[in-house]
Amino acid sequence: MIWQLDILLLIFIVVCAIAAINIKDLMGAVIILGAYSFFMCLLWTEMGAVDVAFTEASVGAGISTVLFIAAVNRTARRSKD
Amino acid sequence: MRNWFKLISMAAVIITGALLIYGTHDMPAWGDPDSPANSHVSPRYITEATKKTATPNIVSAVLADYRSYDTLGESAVIFTASISCFFLLRRIRNKEDHND
Amino acid sequence: MTEYILAKYNYWIYVVLMMIGLYAMMGKRNLVKKLIGMNIFQTSIILLFVSTGVKKGGATVPILMHAGHEHGAQLIQVSDYLNPLPHVLMLTAIVVSIATTGVALATLILIYKRYHTLEEDEILAIRRESRAYKTPRILNPTD
Repeated sequence: MIWQLDILLLIFIVVCAIAAINIKDLMGAVIILGAYSFFMCLLWTEMGAVDVAFTEASVGAGISTVLFIAAVNRTARRSKD
Repeated sequence: MRNWFKLISMAAVIITGALLIYGTHDMPAWGDPDSPANSHVSPRYITEATKKTATPNIVSAVLADYRSYDTLGESAVIFTASISCFFLLRRIRNKEDHND
Repeated sequence: MTEYILAKYNYWIYVVLMMIGLYAMMGKRNLVKKLIGMNIFQTSIILLFVSTGVKKGGATVPILMHAGHEHGAQLIQVSDYLNPLPHVLMLTAIVVSIATTGVALATLILIYKRYHTLEEDEILAIRRESRAYKTPRILNPTD
């Protein structure tokens, strides 16, 4: 438990979350959501929850991003807000 | 109209967040080894899991042995989701075939 | 005061994350944005639950070190290992969240096929118009 790394990762996570809901390009927002998931995975590794971090890296950052990209490819890419 | 709606949702979010932050006053300190979540069920798992299930990884022992019905229900959830995705997306392809 | 902030600032940042997700679900009009907000909301709740298993003061990951030895049972100290129970429960929650995301994205593709837009106000306008003129040209099932 290193508190400097903890605060750094939490700041990165909040910045990624705000960027993901404010970007008008949906593909960019989805990629930033993948980066958010990886930062979350790093935070859980740092907390000691290694099994949860494995699952998040494979499921939350991998499969979820792939599904989002497939759905955005089939629908509109631009968003109004 | 649209800005008005966004203002109302922002106000609701800020009020909810303030109430939740007020609610953290009663929670135990972060990382406290003697908090209620750390002192009731889990000591039994930590001390007895290896003896009873012969698995060094306690998370795997609890997931697949102590609480395996939970994992069974989870796989039922995944099965339901995949079946519903299959049927939702299959109807589109049939419609397109009819149109062409 | 400083001690109080150091003991609680993690919870406050989790609440901020959760409120970012809630604002995206309420204030944004795009349906993909709402889904991204739902993901952020779920992840913040999972983060709160995982953080209840943290023990300060030298605890390591819940994998036993001396499992193969004969006297392994005597070496186990509860304060040496993290709480494994929140990890197990949140493992289930992550997998269920990907299931809900998959079904929601499939529904989103269906909505786009029918209305040709993903903005909530445009979808509502199309529905209102087709109901007012009694001509369900877009809601026609054979369309």
